[in-house]
Amino acid sequence: MNNNLKKINIYAIYLGAFILILPLIAFFINAFSFRWFYPQIIPKELSLQAWVRLKLIPKPGQRTFESFLDLWASNPTVIKALINSLTIGFIVTVVSIIIALPAARVLGLLNFRFKKLIIFIMVSPTILPPIAFVLGLNINFISLGFSGSFFGVCLVHLVPIMPYVVLTMTGIFANYNPDFEHQARTLGANKTKTFFLITLPAIAPGMVVAALFAFLVSWSQYLLTFLIGAGKIMTLPLLVFSTASSGNPALTAAISIIFIFPAILILFFTSKFVSGESGATSGFGKI
Amino acid sequence: MGGERLKIILSLTPPLLIIITLFFGGIFYGLLQSLGYQPAIGKYDINFSAYYNVMFSERYARLFWTGLGLNLWVSFASTFLAAVFALFAALAIRKTFFAKTICNFIYSLNLPMPHLVVAVGMIFVFSQSGLLARFASQLGFINSPGEFPVLVRDKYGFGIILAYIWKEAAFFFIILMSVLQSLGENFEELAQSLGANKWQRFRYVILPLVMPNLFSASIIVFAFSFGAYEVPALLGVIYPQMLPVMAFEFFLNPDLNARSEGMALSIIIALIVMILVIIYFWLTQAKIRKD
Amino acid sequence: MKMKIKFITLAIISLFFSKLVSAETAPGFGSWDDVLKAADGGQVNVYMWGGSDAINGFVDDFYGVPLKEKYNITLNRVPLKGTVDAVNQVLSEKEAGVTGDGGNIDLIWINGENFWTLKQAQLLYGPFAAGLPNSEFVAWDNPAVNLDFGRPVDGMESPWSSAQFHFMYDSARNNYDDMPRSYAELSDWIAENPGRFTYIRPGKGGFVGTRFVKQIFFELSGGQEQWVGPFNQALYDQWAPKVWELLNSWEKDLWRSGDTYPKDNAEMHSLFANGEVDLDFTQSPRGAGPTNTAGTTPPTSRAFAFYENMIGDFNYWAIPYNAPNKAAALVYANLVLEPELQAAQVQPANGFCCGWGISTAKVSDAAGKAAIADAQNNLGDAAEDQNILAKALVSDIAAEYQDLIEADWEANVLLK
Repeated sequence: MNNNLKKINIYAIYLGAFILILPLIAFFINAFSFRWFYPQIIPKELSLQAWVRLKLIPKPGQRTFESFLDLWASNPTVIKALINSLTIGFIVTVVSIIIALPAARVLGLLNFRFKKLIIFIMVSPTILPPIAFVLGLNINFISLGFSGSFFGVCLVHLVPIMPYVVLTMTGIFANYNPDFEHQARTLGANKTKTFFLITLPAIAPGMVVAALFAFLVSWSQYLLTFLIGAGKIMTLPLLVFSTASSGNPALTAAISIIFIFPAILILFFTSKFVSGESGATSGFGKI
Repeated sequence: MGGERLKIILSLTPPLLIIITLFFGGIFYGLLQSLGYQPAIGKYDINFSAYYNVMFSERYARLFWTGLGLNLWVSFASTFLAAVFALFAALAIRKTFFAKTICNFIYSLNLPMPHLVVAVGMIFVFSQSGLLARFASQLGFINSPGEFPVLVRDKYGFGIILAYIWKEAAFFFIILMSVLQSLGENFEELAQSLGANKWQRFRYVILPLVMPNLFSASIIVFAFSFGAYEVPALLGVIYPQMLPVMAFEFFLNPDLNARSEGMALSIIIALIVMILVIIYFWLTQAKIRKD
Repeated sequence: MKMKIKFITLAIISLFFSKLVSAETAPGFGSWDDVLKAADGGQVNVYMWGGSDAINGFVDDFYGVPLKEKYNITLNRVPLKGTVDAVNQVLSEKEAGVTGDGGNIDLIWINGENFWTLKQAQLLYGPFAAGLPNSEFVAWDNPAVNLDFGRPVDGMESPWSSAQFHFMYDSARNNYDDMPRSYAELSDWIAENPGRFTYIRPGKGGFVGTRFVKQIFFELSGGQEQWVGPFNQALYDQWAPKVWELLNSWEKDLWRSGDTYPKDNAEMHSLFANGEVDLDFTQSPRGAGPTNTAGTTPPTSRAFAFYENMIGDFNYWAIPYNAPNKAAALVYANLVLEPELQAAQVQPANGFCCGWGISTAKVSDAAGKAAIADAQNNLGDAAEDQNILAKALVSDIAAEYQDLIEADWEANVLLK
């Protein structure tokens, strides 16, 4: 088979790629300019003013290492939001993996009555819209005291995350051969040893993909955090949304860059895992 | 076998518990409130007036039905176009060419991007004073922003569709790449050696093999784009308005009646999604049986 | 007899003193010292519209820092998309049965119908405004202050700043002398400049748009005086059709032919700055100053006002009934009335949006007076002539008109 692509197709791909990264280019230009109005393409005024306004970079003339640290220690809103997003993301990722692991094993390896129904229940939060459940949940959370609390936000983030984590890991287990475990047991290893030395390394790539999915879903949550957090838990998506409505494109762009930074990091990490060398995404077809 | 059964039940309980209490519980409470049952302010009667108001009352009927039309259009168009775009990109990028890895990376780049950021990006690039419009102006195609076509914040939802395509195409792309990778080239080579041309190879070999994955991914993308709030909130106009944005605005109205209407609307959205998904399943199951 | 008189006098005197002593600063606090003590070491959750990063920065710097350093209170500023979000939060908490100190919100930046929603549902803490030490600088006898959208404040909210609606134009594209000075002139201007004008749609987050439309009512009906006072359905019904007729007559010459309208200030500024429309709106006494400094409007932007019917009002801070840190809230509400901080509000260099919340005539100490004089002198040339603004100033009207105008505009102008 001819493995070389026709010239015109290659140019089409390049054009597509260029258009796909235009938004990124626009973000960077906006974030590092001042008054970048139509019809400027190259900004007339390059400046760090957006970052100064966000209190991430000290004003010109005061840029020493200590002043950076001082500024960040004063807990500007961006840093607050960043820390909250990271913490919530980390907590819900870990919790969801721990909860999902036994269930995924059972779903992936065994067959039993109601299995289809249970899978349907597990998957339903990806089908039915979040707005359907979070409005009703809001009042209850307020009376239970979860509203405006870190715990409440983490709890509600678990809902959209669980289906992805369970699905991905079930896919892993569906491709998993438990015979290795039996062999280890017959050779005398106990349950814990078997788990850490046999099972874990085998499912690790899938677990990483599931963890990254979970983290990203939590990282991008707006509606859930907005309603349940009651304004007390400030996360990056809330900040992006309110800044996008505030009409200062430089600020919006700067916050957006901070917001997508982990996402790009994650992409680097996962391109090895996801681009076809794992059973994680092909498991989608089996369900 | 009792121990086995117990193990199954214990393993499944934690995630099931979370989903049933929080997700279905939330829907249940929303349903109650939409039916007028609000014990906190002493209302105990069940009635469907909120639903009636949302769909048929003079004030909201037009908003609802145009919103529904917009919703369906946006979801179908985004899902279909994203899938098509990703399919052709995946088929092309399989082959070798200069800068293939970079292109692979760029085409998957948007997957981890949060929808919010993609929406903002659309505004920066496609608005009448956005990056593309500025290129057009420098090249002499237009004289003022007003001459550039309206692509975001428009009443046909183009901006919203663009934003969804941007992100969902990456989603489809990654799934297709992994499927195509695991398929290998054997089937295609076999078909080619049997005399099939490019189009026949595509239609009768590749397409059926990727369909199952495309199908399950499409359901998720469709359902998501139908019920999501963030993107239409940023990129939509005030009329017609997509239903999730309408529902949320009702809910935020201090008038408590409006809040029941917001809940009712969100339940309606959920019902519509469910029905559409079931129809989708049924249609494709029928097709698979035919094949 | 002498004993009896002595006894009665004593009783009257002690009654008098006990009234003085037991006169509370605010419900639950005997004196200002009690307030300071209770607030010490705590936090205050301030919920305010977050759509202007200049205002956000101002609050963080000019209030956050002194709160921490002088009163040992940590400021937690919560940005909102609209004040109604905070109102909704309090309502939800009430619905869920949260009372006492169990709520989430300590202060809301509020006025008009949002204030009325909470006040009439008895969801506010107070009366507290008169008990603040700095309330001596507030012109409580002025109906513009003690009436909020026609409704009595009754000490349930305390002033912060003031704003007046007027317009902006870009001096690089247009001249001050060519600007329309009434809605009649604006109609002509729109017809002569098709596609170059639009206004913010009246609705949630678009109160500037509602104001724009309200002023049309004033001009068409011959004046604002008849609108002051309680809501008058007959008056509204008489003039509303003419207002919609006017707005509909503009449609074909508006931006995007009136198919859609920007939904908030942000979109409006963006259209103006990028050259899609030629006129914009402002509420600041400094005209185009704040947005020029922030870089959201071109540096050549200037302000102008119609000669009549430019609505101006005060905005306030209110405390919900279930605020968790009521003492800290009182300290904050008092702090914003400090004369030097009020002067800082008006100083162009600080980028704040709005005008005085106190009456500058009531400030007597030297430092305060100096700060005020300095601010007044620095207003800058991006502002409209303050005399023109003062002549055109009219107060806002009863809150019921707000909802009605927003709903009817949608039905009669947008959907037509």
